[in-house]
Amino acid sequence: MRDPALLAVAAICCILSFSWLALAMDVHWQQVRETSIQTIGVKRMLRVLAVVALGVSLSLCLKVDHGSMASLVWVMLLALAALIVTFTLSWRPRVLAPLVAWIPNVPRAGVGASS
Amino acid sequence: MFQSFRMSMTWLHTWFGLVIGYVLMVCFFFGALSVFDREIDRWAIPETRFEPQVLPSFDKMLLPIFEKMEPLEEELDAARDRVGGPLPESKPVMGYSAYTTHRDPVLMMFSEYAITNNPDDPRDHVHGYITIDPRSGAQLSDEQLKIGSEFFYPLHYSLHLHWANLGYWIVGFAALVMLAALVSGVVMHRKIFREFFTFRPNKQAQRSALDLHNLTGVVALPFHFFFALTGLIVFASIYLPVGETMFEDVALKQAQEEAAATGLAFDPAGVPAPLASVDAMVVEAKRRWAARDMTGEVGFLAVNHIGDANSYVSIYRAGTDRVTLTGQGIHFKGSTGEIIREDPPPSAVEGVTDFMTGLHLQHFKHWMLRWLYVLGGLAGCVCIATGFIFFVEKRKRAHAKSGSSGARWADAVAVSTVTGIVIAAAGMLVGNRLLPTDLPDRGFWEESVFWLSWLAAFVHAAIRSAPVQQARISPAWREQCWAIAVLAVGAVVLNWITTGDHLLKTLGEAYWPVAGFDLALLAAAALAVFAARRLRLREIGAIEQRETSSGGAEAAHA
Amino acid sequence: MSASAPSLSPLHIALRIIGAVGGGWLFVWGFTTLGIALGIATGMPYDEARTLLYLLAFVVFLVAFCWSFVTASIARVWLVLAGGGAVMTGGAWLLLRSIA
Repeated sequence: MRDPALLAVAAICCILSFSWLALAMDVHWQQVRETSIQTIGVKRMLRVLAVVALGVSLSLCLKVDHGSMASLVWVMLLALAALIVTFTLSWRPRVLAPLVAWIPNVPRAGVGASS
Repeated sequence: MFQSFRMSMTWLHTWFGLVIGYVLMVCFFFGALSVFDREIDRWAIPETRFEPQVLPSFDKMLLPIFEKMEPLEEELDAARDRVGGPLPESKPVMGYSAYTTHRDPVLMMFSEYAITNNPDDPRDHVHGYITIDPRSGAQLSDEQLKIGSEFFYPLHYSLHLHWANLGYWIVGFAALVMLAALVSGVVMHRKIFREFFTFRPNKQAQRSALDLHNLTGVVALPFHFFFALTGLIVFASIYLPVGETMFEDVALKQAQEEAAATGLAFDPAGVPAPLASVDAMVVEAKRRWAARDMTGEVGFLAVNHIGDANSYVSIYRAGTDRVTLTGQGIHFKGSTGEIIREDPPPSAVEGVTDFMTGLHLQHFKHWMLRWLYVLGGLAGCVCIATGFIFFVEKRKRAHAKSGSSGARWADAVAVSTVTGIVIAAAGMLVGNRLLPTDLPDRGFWEESVFWLSWLAAFVHAAIRSAPVQQARISPAWREQCWAIAVLAVGAVVLNWITTGDHLLKTLGEAYWPVAGFDLALLAAAALAVFAARRLRLREIGAIEQRETSSGGAEAAHA
Repeated sequence: MSASAPSLSPLHIALRIIGAVGGGWLFVWGFTTLGIALGIATGMPYDEARTLLYLLAFVVFLVAFCWSFVTASIARVWLVLAGGGAVMTGGAWLLLRSIA
């Protein structure tokens, strides 16, 4: 039971990682947080978080399986995670909002005043 | 070819992608199904729905069955053609082998018989092949087609075109084109990173299709590349037959030298000798694997030079915990049971090849990775299918104006290779449940249902694609989606009616081969209904209108 | 994209495709046989040399195939791929004869 749980966590880490990577891009940030803009600092922090999450997922895969198998599992998990994140952004972008809920709103010029 | 590098690559991607894409669709779709070929076999042959079994006793059960086996009729016919006359009455048995995997409840048994009167080939031989239930030793009927492992799986690499290996060559060329399409696709795609997470389902069909094409191509790029490449490597000796031509003498000499060096005799001694207990050899082989911390069951067992003093028994481990495809073979002297040799660890080059082929042939036990492979295969299908749609969408208005029917025919063939192959596969499953169980040559009829369903899908697509010539969407896409939904649900219901194994029962018993495949069929049906409804909206222009009214229309992609 | 591509004569396209596919195969055949023969000449076992060349062959084919659509002259495609393939095959044959 331990191995499937670890692989599930590895998959979730991949999804988190790609979500943060996407959110570090202006166009996707705006899909999720319509009224705010993103500072350079926030972008950098999101990318660091994404890399950390990717590292965690790889190390979990390596914990469960032989290295050769783990690398295949991880590469394929990346594809799965990218598809999940992309389709979420296409149809339900707000679902990703909690992942950046702790980042304060920086109102966009012209939008912030009225809202 | 053209002035610019990018333009040449675009030409290559567009035209080879279109023409060979129709073949690639078959490779990717049936390749994805082949990941679960053994499970599809269970679904299609209800009497084999029991747990996977380990190799039964060779001495008590398998040997008596081997001794009763006969050469296959079709192989004898082929041998008569090679010899150019009748075959000798006695066909001395040369070898026996048995093969199973961690997913197989049934055991496959092979035998080999010498054809002694072929002047051109002193080593000419024919084979026998049966499948048994290893719990009882009962032979399974030959009339039962293993739809997964004997039809879908070979379809994805040979197209069932066996004349002059034509199917292998077509698929091999398609794999090369896939690699070239990936390279040229990366060259053409200007915004790989900027649009990495981009899919805009409510844009114009051309834009949405291109988004999905790029998405599925890019995120599964390593999968696409390595599966096309390793597929070529698996069959390299067909595409580059060096061992049968320029290097024939070298190859034979090396095989003989190796046999001398390893003690695994290349030829029989001609001196009769009995066979020692093979079960004892199996016990010893397992003990040696366990000592190397590679506990495992026997996957493949072969007895060579039966009844001869040079007889030897090779026992290979079933691959389960590694990607790489080596069996850690252990070889015993047939007459005494003493160890002749253990396979040494592979060299670096062999290690890489074993990994590459193992990656593709996936003998390992890792259910999550299996499903991820299905995802990769289906992503490949989506990538190819959206490539077709993009091709048609881009040209259909111009073709409508000029009166050309090119886009129409590209679209009709696309329909029959995208939704059409799913209809053919689902139709075959329905046929498998409806054909009488005692029908002679039942497998042939199941295959006929497959090919006829596919033909029907093509005819339907051709007839219904006329609107493409007026720059509209062919209703064939939507209608075939509905056909998929009906057939897929029908297969699940028929499985329940004819076997009693409904989903509540198989899920309750956690019998995943059937439960999983039933669930996959229902998922396919749901996806088909979703697609059909979206297509309806596209046909009446509702999605484009919604987009235009919201003011988000983007200039058509260059 | 390709909408602005100038049109080519069917003969040009046919020569280009046959050169890329047939010439490409011949080139890879030459590369593989010469590679195996060189491997044997330098003391590699035949099996090992063949396995190594099979790993490389299709990557070489991919590069040759793409190159033959990018390069400007059809004559060059045929000369390099078919000609090179024939030369390498001949070299492999001579080398093999000198070893055996």
